[in-house]
Amino acid sequence: MRFVPVFVLIFASLLAACTPERDPKRVVIWHQMRVDERVILEEQMKKYMSLHPDVHLEAIYKETEELRSGFIIAAIAGQGPDLVYGPSDQVGPFQVMNIIRPMEPLFDTSWLNSFTPKALTWYKGHLYQIADKLGNHLTLVYNKKFVQKPPETDEELVALCRKLTVDTNGDGRTDRYGLVWNYTEPFFFVPFMSGFGGWVMDDSGHPTLDNRGVIDGLKFIRDLRDKYKVIPAEADYNIADALFKDGKAAMIINGDWSWSGYRKAEIDIGVAPLPKITETGLWCAPMVSPKGYSINRNVPDEKIPLILDVLKFLMSPENELETGKALSTMPTRVSLYSDPFIENDEILKNSREQIEHGRAMPVVPELRAIWDAMRPNYQAVLGGVKTPEDAARDMQALALRKIEEMNE
Amino acid sequence: MNNFRKKKFVQRLAAHIVLILFSIIAVYPVLQVVTISLRPADKLLSTSLEIIPQNATLKSYVKLFTEQPFLLWLRNSAAVSLTVTLTGVVLAAMAGYAFSRFNFMGKRMGLLSLLLTQMFPATMLLLPLYIMLIYLGLINTYLGIIITYTATALPFCIWTMKGYYDTIPTSLEEAARIDGCNQFEAFYKVILPLAAPALVITGLFSFMTAWAEYIVAAQILQDTELWTLPLGLKSFEANMSTEWGLYGAASLLVMIPVVILFLVLSRWLVSGLTLGSVKG
Amino acid sequence: MNKLYRKIFIAIFVVPSFLILIGVVFYPFLYNVVISLSNMNLRHITDWHLVGLNQYQKVFTEPTQPSFYDIFLKTIIWTVANVLFHVVIGVFLALILNQSIRGKSVYRTLLILPWAIPQYIVALTWRGMFNYEYGSINLVLTKYLHLPAVEWLKNPTEAFLACILTNVWLGFPFMMVVALGALQSIPHELYEAADIDGASWFYKLKNITLPLIRPVMIPAITLGIVWTFNNLNIIWLVSNGGEPSDSTHILVSFVYKAAFNLYRYGYAAALSMVIFVVLLVLSLTFMKKTKATEAAY
Repeated sequence: MRFVPVFVLIFASLLAACTPERDPKRVVIWHQMRVDERVILEEQMKKYMSLHPDVHLEAIYKETEELRSGFIIAAIAGQGPDLVYGPSDQVGPFQVMNIIRPMEPLFDTSWLNSFTPKALTWYKGHLYQIADKLGNHLTLVYNKKFVQKPPETDEELVALCRKLTVDTNGDGRTDRYGLVWNYTEPFFFVPFMSGFGGWVMDDSGHPTLDNRGVIDGLKFIRDLRDKYKVIPAEADYNIADALFKDGKAAMIINGDWSWSGYRKAEIDIGVAPLPKITETGLWCAPMVSPKGYSINRNVPDEKIPLILDVLKFLMSPENELETGKALSTMPTRVSLYSDPFIENDEILKNSREQIEHGRAMPVVPELRAIWDAMRPNYQAVLGGVKTPEDAARDMQALALRKIEEMNE
Repeated sequence: MNNFRKKKFVQRLAAHIVLILFSIIAVYPVLQVVTISLRPADKLLSTSLEIIPQNATLKSYVKLFTEQPFLLWLRNSAAVSLTVTLTGVVLAAMAGYAFSRFNFMGKRMGLLSLLLTQMFPATMLLLPLYIMLIYLGLINTYLGIIITYTATALPFCIWTMKGYYDTIPTSLEEAARIDGCNQFEAFYKVILPLAAPALVITGLFSFMTAWAEYIVAAQILQDTELWTLPLGLKSFEANMSTEWGLYGAASLLVMIPVVILFLVLSRWLVSGLTLGSVKG
Repeated sequence: MNKLYRKIFIAIFVVPSFLILIGVVFYPFLYNVVISLSNMNLRHITDWHLVGLNQYQKVFTEPTQPSFYDIFLKTIIWTVANVLFHVVIGVFLALILNQSIRGKSVYRTLLILPWAIPQYIVALTWRGMFNYEYGSINLVLTKYLHLPAVEWLKNPTEAFLACILTNVWLGFPFMMVVALGALQSIPHELYEAADIDGASWFYKLKNITLPLIRPVMIPAITLGIVWTFNNLNIIWLVSNGGEPSDSTHILVSFVYKAAFNLYRYGYAAALSMVIFVVLLVLSLTFMKKTKATEAAY
């Protein structure tokens, strides 16, 4: 019994000893890819490793927020992965904290030019991220069992929803809603805001939340629920998802990450661009963001050639085409845009149209503050606690304050 | 045992009713997780209240073992948690005893400091902890998280042990000393067995601290071969497309060792003072 | 025993534990104190410098929404409600289970499940149960109890209540286990003597059971207070980060948002220090009132 502590220490140090070594031929990628994306990445990594047997590639998944804070903590302490993969908005804070490297001196311009400019994230004069997927955008997803032709304008949308919102068993409770989406994240509000002419910020990163676009957008969604009664009382992401999967909602506003999940759930989905707002003549414009790789500042210079080789492989046209076909994501190599599959696949065609209507997600760190300012007010309007005018005004004030606090 | 049979039938019935009611409350959300694990389309929520869903499938469970390194995570978690349990119980049993039986300089401060260590929000300690562990070369090692978990569990364990020892009269050690034992033997042979119920609490708590912990493990363990169960489970998550089927199945399986441990340890949740040692 | 032997004995028994504790907690704690006096944030992540009590000033005077004092009050309510129910339910169930009834281990196993199941999925499940239209709780209320449905997650008070209910569910097994252990320390002779004197169950409860489980319950309760006060997870998951509109925050979840959403590490450190001091005062008061560090006999 007395020797137990000793055994424990020995055992523990044995455990400690069996940890893999850090070696220069080992490339570590941290990403936030969802499962189907991961599967493809693993296959592509395996291909690379079979071509280069002395190199070991490893990909570790972290949830988006944790990826951000985990990478920050690790990189500040001089550690962290070699490559970090995520949406473009992580570039802003990473650059300010000086934990990622400028990439334009590392590649030759002809290679960079083979990418669509939307895939190259420049910030403060330097290239910080190269993307292999373009999108992350919201679209109108409809269940073909209920909807044959998706609406093109907001008036068509309301009319269609009213037809589809039914009480099938006469108990006074709606059994199917026309439309549903995540009411808690302001990201889902952006298309409505932009359709009515608003946007989150101006070109210099200054928030522009107290304007007609925001107010009218808020009014519109409030009316959808309270006047037309075509959307449920309460819905967060999981509820909206459940309703759509259960056939209790005919349409859902959701992003490209969700389509394969719905297909797996055996729902015959169609994807359509979000409608045009008749009053303004503008299409609803969701945020479009590339998802790509950035290089950790802590990577030693000797390792850079290997990193570049890996990147070039993972983002080769063949691999991007394979990814695009499997996941319905939009590739970033210009040469692929004339590929017959990319051009003709129904979902990709609609996705592309939506991307063209969409607007690039800002990269600046201030966007975080703006989301934080929008969130409580957006929820308050849907909660019936604030009027759209007050909410817009409060959003703007709160955003300004939060930006100030963040930048002290 | 209290002489239960003398009590009326009604009281026994009442006890059962209360227990059944609470058991239902305790179990219902867990049943929901069972449902999630059996549902085919990765749905966390559903509009139907059925416990066994339509098209129920065991596919998630199969996938867990065939496509995911669940067994690896299980092995890793078991190794770490059992080590933490052992260290926690041993160290707490000893420290608690000293605090209970002796007065020494710094005793009150010591007890207070146990409390203080718990008062800090863990998320704030992450960055400095990470930096310190890098400095000590303990990043990405099990030793690193074992030490951290033990430190997390110790305050409660030491204090509970002390509390329990306080209920055991010192006359027992005196009797043992008279019989020729030294202090350590008195502790080890006489007092420790009597404190078995507290050891159960301590062991279970230490195990749970390590078994279910995510935040520290996520920061410290970088290599997927080292992943513990919470990290593995997190990998089924994605911000907006979690694989709920796998997650549900894994969550249920993760519960089983805890329940087994509890069942095993509850044998010792019996009153030590009736183990026939000494009369008052 | 002689003095040297005694000292060595104490040292061997106490020092290893404290070495680990100091190592793992002491340095991070100091670091946090330093950061709380600095301006570490997005713009000054590695080149921060000390700025005195600035961050503390902000903690108390910044017009956050909700205000510091509102959040503070919420945290107190949260803590008291949770610990109260955890302990009452836990002790109650332990008392029942401590008798010889059939199927004891089955009940014990079922009742420990809330503690055993991973929090993330079960917290989200609870959140789903609170949904206005589709959640099981409203369905039970309306169909079986004929009460009106509650808009749990849309209103601040109800959302807060939802978090409390979830956390009570999660926490009572722990107190039950501790109470079960504590009950074992009571010698049966005491009950038997009381029975001979014709004592009622209430008398036995009040004068034998409750005082004698105190030494073991007190650490659990005190630490329960501390842990609940700082329990970020449940509030975050059930209310989805403070909804509706940031009104369901307790101090820790607020700190988390400040630090990790907006990279305001200095501010978050200062807020953590304030939480720490508050907890310190609360627990010291609690311990003094219950004489927690003394023995029962």
